[in-house]
Amino acid sequence: MYNTLTRNILRFVGLLLLQILVFDNIRLGNYVHPYVYVLFVMILPFDTERWKLIINGFLIGFAVDIFSGTPGLNAAATVFVAFLRPFIINVTTRKSDIEGKTAPTVSEMGLKWFFFYTLFLLVFHNLLLFWLEAFSVKLLGLVMLEVLMSVPASLFVIILVIYIFQPIKK
Amino acid sequence: MYNLFIFIKKYSAVILFILLELLCFLMVAYSLPYQNRKMVSVSNSIAGGIYKTTSNWNDYLHLKSENEKLAKQNALLMNMLGEDYSEDDTLITNGMYSFVPAHVIKNSIYELNNYMVIDKGRADGVEADMGVICAEGIVGIVVNVSNHYASVMSLLNSNTVVSARFVDNQYVANVLWDNQNYHFGVVKDIPSHLIINKGDTLVTSGFSNSYPPDIMVGTIEETEDNTNEMFSTAKLKFSTNFSTLRHVFIVKNNYQEEIDSLCITH
Repeated sequence: MYNTLTRNILRFVGLLLLQILVFDNIRLGNYVHPYVYVLFVMILPFDTERWKLIINGFLIGFAVDIFSGTPGLNAAATVFVAFLRPFIINVTTRKSDIEGKTAPTVSEMGLKWFFFYTLFLLVFHNLLLFWLEAFSVKLLGLVMLEVLMSVPASLFVIILVIYIFQPIKK
Repeated sequence: MYNLFIFIKKYSAVILFILLELLCFLMVAYSLPYQNRKMVSVSNSIAGGIYKTTSNWNDYLHLKSENEKLAKQNALLMNMLGEDYSEDDTLITNGMYSFVPAHVIKNSIYELNNYMVIDKGRADGVEADMGVICAEGIVGIVVNVSNHYASVMSLLNSNTVVSARFVDNQYVANVLWDNQNYHFGVVKDIPSHLIINKGDTLVTSGFSNSYPPDIMVGTIEETEDNTNEMFSTAKLKFSTNFSTLRHVFIVKNNYQEEIDSLCITH
């Protein structure tokens, strides 16, 4: 219990700092914004209760919000991701696939599965986030473009981060 | 009653989800028009400290170019001082503006409404509506102040309107942001009989109390051919490079209260 908690706190702080200090400063063009902090919600263990997922999603989203001065924006998107996570896992796996596995990570589930899992969640995350952002400044035309450009960037960055911080054992 | 508990227990995740989403939506709805205010409250707390530390680290990487910029800034300020002293009627211009140097500790350039946070606040005499300039040109206007920080509405903001003057012919026009690229803005309300060329320079008109006159705004990048209308527009390249902004000066109009009192009474 102590180990899991410490690890999660470290992940929380690490991903938060990575997001606000590194990736918030990286913008390729006007529409690409990589989001790496979502990874925190994605790789929580399989047996995490749904309400815990949602609370965790809210916490990391809101932490990012505090630093970007956009209260509620990232939190809304991450809560949405946390809510959808069990459904996406259900759709993309069979019962037998996740038996004996602890968490939906690359090392346990394989890169191919993780790729599509992350892709689905990122699309929903980005859709809600950019829609909320645009909704308030009345520029809806940008949303689809932003999602289209940002999802691959986030996906790439997330997989990169996983390979840097969690080497795959062969 | 028992059924209600069963129901709540069964759908606790869904209920929690809906409640939190509602909370988030409310926060978004209430915060975005006042995003600047949030920026300041943010910079007071832990976030301000962290951003300040990282900006300190970043400063080391840009020491050389920053030195050059500061040298330019010095020259500019010396010029202003010189002009003031050479004026006959010193009461009008001498000491009209004073400048508070500040660091940009957070800056956004890719949003639709960009703000920055600077490390000077009420304690340093900074107040809302003061202009902010740098060695290269104008930067923005202070919109909110806390004790040690202030948030600045950057030129890169859909609410920005700057009154600017063509150096060549003294005509005044309005400068807005084009909402797309941090290099370019739009010059509006140019009388269409005016012939403007690429490279024409615009400086602040001094009509607003925020900016002193003759601070660089930018140069014309592209002219549009719309001779049928009363006013024409043109594309402007900002002289300020917002992506490398570090040292800025807050412009304090020493006679602001006096000017304001005139405006109220008439």
